[in-house]
Amino acid sequence: MGSKFNKELKTLVKDKVISPELADKIEQYYATKDIGTPNKLFMIFGIFGALLVGSGIILMLAHNWDDFSRVTKTILAFLPLLIGQFFAGFSILKNKNATWKEASGTFLFFAVGACIALISQIYNIPGDLGSYLLTWIVLCLPLVYLLRSNAVALLTVILSTYYAVEVGVWNYRSAQTPWLYVVFFLAIVPHYILLLKKKISSNTVTIFNWMLPTSIAIALAAFVGNNGNLGFVMYITLFGLLYNIGRLSVFKELRTLRNGYLIIGSLGTVWSLIIFTFRWFWDEYPKMFTYDIQELYIALVLFFITVAVFGYTFWKKGIKGINLFQAAFIIFWGVYFFLPGIEILPVVLMNMLVFALGISAIKIGADKFNFGILNYGLLIISILIICRFFDTGMSFVLRGILFVLVGTGFFVTNYIMLKRQQKIKKQLKDLQL
Amino acid sequence: MKAIHVFIGFILIALVQVFVPAQMIWQQEDVLKSGNVYRFKTMPIDPTDPFRGKYITLNYEMNSFAIADTSFVYGDKVRVYIDNDDKGFAKAVVLSKRPLEINKDYVVAKVTGNYKEVISFELPFDRFYMEESKAKDAEMAYTKINRDSLKENVYAEVYVKEGQSVLKDVIIDGIPIQEYVEE
Repeated sequence: MGSKFNKELKTLVKDKVISPELADKIEQYYATKDIGTPNKLFMIFGIFGALLVGSGIILMLAHNWDDFSRVTKTILAFLPLLIGQFFAGFSILKNKNATWKEASGTFLFFAVGACIALISQIYNIPGDLGSYLLTWIVLCLPLVYLLRSNAVALLTVILSTYYAVEVGVWNYRSAQTPWLYVVFFLAIVPHYILLLKKKISSNTVTIFNWMLPTSIAIALAAFVGNNGNLGFVMYITLFGLLYNIGRLSVFKELRTLRNGYLIIGSLGTVWSLIIFTFRWFWDEYPKMFTYDIQELYIALVLFFITVAVFGYTFWKKGIKGINLFQAAFIIFWGVYFFLPGIEILPVVLMNMLVFALGISAIKIGADKFNFGILNYGLLIISILIICRFFDTGMSFVLRGILFVLVGTGFFVTNYIMLKRQQKIKKQLKDLQL
Repeated sequence: MKAIHVFIGFILIALVQVFVPAQMIWQQEDVLKSGNVYRFKTMPIDPTDPFRGKYITLNYEMNSFAIADTSFVYGDKVRVYIDNDDKGFAKAVVLSKRPLEINKDYVVAKVTGNYKEVISFELPFDRFYMEESKAKDAEMAYTKINRDSLKENVYAEVYVKEGQSVLKDVIIDGIPIQEYVEE
């Protein structure tokens, strides 16, 4: 328990908010509560220590020592692996605390990577980076569940993302679709759900809440082949999915900043929809649609998953519990697949959609007294207006007036909200007195 | 009770973690011990792998085969049956997607193109790991040797057995490339 907390208790006693007896009780409660749970700081240092030592070993081995014989190199390859396995096995058998398991798991993770790397070096085993990462992930994935290790789970997510990008994006000579990424990702999900159930508001969950959507958003690029147009459709649908996941009731208690799904989903939706407000994008719309392509199938699968999540929320909360961001992807699908031929109409509709998103963000911000969301809405509208400056022949006077109007909008809305907030605070204070 | 189950699971995974690299070693050692050795004329250049360090990529002179067959397309795995030519270097005898009943060694290559009745392919053993300070020098050594038109003197020593191939060494001017770079 921190000294800051003790100080606060003393202030509360001094200001006669609580009695000294109560303060003692609270102090005792927290003093005994922490017994038996591992020290957080110690755990973080443990993981980081293992992380650094482990990656240090990989780097040292990557030097490819010429002077060592094949036998020496082989022993060196297995040494860290066996040490890591010993400590991981020890912490399972003796049922050591999470610090032990996380640290030994992290070390073992890198030891496995180092071992197969060194053997590839010794024998000049062919095979690109992708297949090496694949072996590494497969050998370490079970550790997530055996050690119940969050660090290993996160490392697996990072490595899987690396794998997906390496195989599907960077490897331009023979770009393949990294389907196994989906398997790896799904394999982590049960661990994550368990974690959500146990300690939703912990920092660990927050890290997962950001890492998982980031990972999918990056890896999806590896699933886009030659049909870039549909790539955008895939991405808008994915961002819709992420946003809808972020709005599930599990995450309701979380602060917005701890909800990566919501933020990435929202930013991604707005960003990709803004691209579709440009006319040139629709001019490049494919004249003929070929249906038998991978991108369309993936987009459809994403669409149905997203509709399922959306439908669930709709069923639970009714139309009032839904905001426009959740439904934006459906509107987009409608416009993209059913109205593209009609001259300027899709462009106008997309502009209206983004504008409506901005307005709805302003409304959400105003309802929640959240300045961040309010200004986010204003920002969306400003960006939309700035974008329209590029492709319309508006006169400079008109553009100037629009800018002034939007700028004034920023001042006025923020001012009104500030006033309202102060008024409510005052009312609360009056009530207390 | 539960911890012991997890522990047994862990032991299994630990064994797999040891077995996979050990099996990699065994496979390679087997080819080195009982495979036939071939020399492939080659040209080294120097890239990096983030985890496994510096290596040189080997571009082989034997990288295509003239055969009129449009069924070979990019990405196909093909068996390249090899034999020694009169100078003692490996040469491709025949290309096939299916096993052939001939008494020749083969390596498995990847088709990279099929143009004007010539099929180009990539041999699998194109990576040779080197100490990080030496890989760049190796590339430079090759450039120099190439300029002196001694190209004949750069080749890879590859052991081949039942389609498995292990790159043992890269030889420049009669000596292993590591030693050549040190001089």
